[in-house]
Amino acid sequence: MTEKILIIIPAYNESESIKKTIQEILALPFKVDIAVIDDGSSDATSRYAKETTANVLTLPFNLGIGGAVQTGFQFAFKKNYDIAVQIDADGQHDGAFLQDLVTPVKSGEVDIAIGSRFIGPFLGYRSSFVRRIGINFFAHLISFLVQDRVTDPTSGFRAFNRKAIKAFALDYPYDYPEPEAIVLAQRLNLRFKEIPVQMRKRQAGHSSIRYLRTLYYMVKVTLAILLDMLKPQKRLI
Amino acid sequence: MNVKLLVFTFSLVLFFFVIDLTRREKLTFKYAAGWLGVSLLAILSIVFDKFLFKFSSWLGFALPSNFIFFGLMCTFIILALLLTVFLCQQDTRNRLMAQKIAVLEFELEQLKKEPKNPSVKENQR
Repeated sequence: MTEKILIIIPAYNESESIKKTIQEILALPFKVDIAVIDDGSSDATSRYAKETTANVLTLPFNLGIGGAVQTGFQFAFKKNYDIAVQIDADGQHDGAFLQDLVTPVKSGEVDIAIGSRFIGPFLGYRSSFVRRIGINFFAHLISFLVQDRVTDPTSGFRAFNRKAIKAFALDYPYDYPEPEAIVLAQRLNLRFKEIPVQMRKRQAGHSSIRYLRTLYYMVKVTLAILLDMLKPQKRLI
Repeated sequence: MNVKLLVFTFSLVLFFFVIDLTRREKLTFKYAAGWLGVSLLAILSIVFDKFLFKFSSWLGFALPSNFIFFGLMCTFIILALLLTVFLCQQDTRNRLMAQKIAVLEFELEQLKKEPKNPSVKENQR
């Protein structure tokens, strides 16, 4: 890989897994830079990340996943990276699929590559039953709205080219941004494609979407997506 | 008559209270203007109450007090909506500022880590 690649790892209270996630990426057979965006963690996430060669950007307070990822895009844009890859800090995303994810972006086939755990041939961890119902609902809703097949709209394992980095550095959804970002990408005329990947069970900590929040997540994201469709088509400058 | 006096006094106190808050720089004129407008409107409604009665009956309200309650309710709903818009703007600004701080802080740390340029040292001597 000759392109400058930045791995964006948004992290909020992920001290148990952050170091392992970084080390796994650094062990890959190609050169990438890493930016850990510490989203106002109250634990030692930042300290552990700083013990590695990763660049650590610490937000002064918790912005939520959208704000943290957008900080990564702003950093990637400012530092002239050609490709940015978003990876979860909890170890769910297998770095071995990084090359597969980057290839269609690098070749110019698409602007965004989304890692999907629901398309073959891999059969890894596919989330809990309740979550799969939610993912399936959003997959159908977004596929209908963007008129393209989307199987894993909540996947946070994504690669972006410079055009997408620039667009998302300026405008990116806040709360639970992944499904909304697909609709936004279509509104910005960014081409996207799903790539089969294998995911693992979260290695430590717990998800922010639990209990009653699951219901809030479903309602909020559905409304946000529908409202997004009413917004005018955007043109990238 | 007592009710009129009570409402008039309250509106006048509100008017001068907003002016005082602006004078003491607790409120900027941008946000004080709306409150001054509301208190002035209340004062005018008391002074020209016949016009208020005629207007409320023309709109179809059985009692002028119903019209006043309706007017107040609309005012506060609009005010709450405007405050939400303002809150969203502040939220976006805070988020952008936090992101800029994170990037700048990182760059500052990088600069501190870099060894000082020897040529600069030379010039200082």
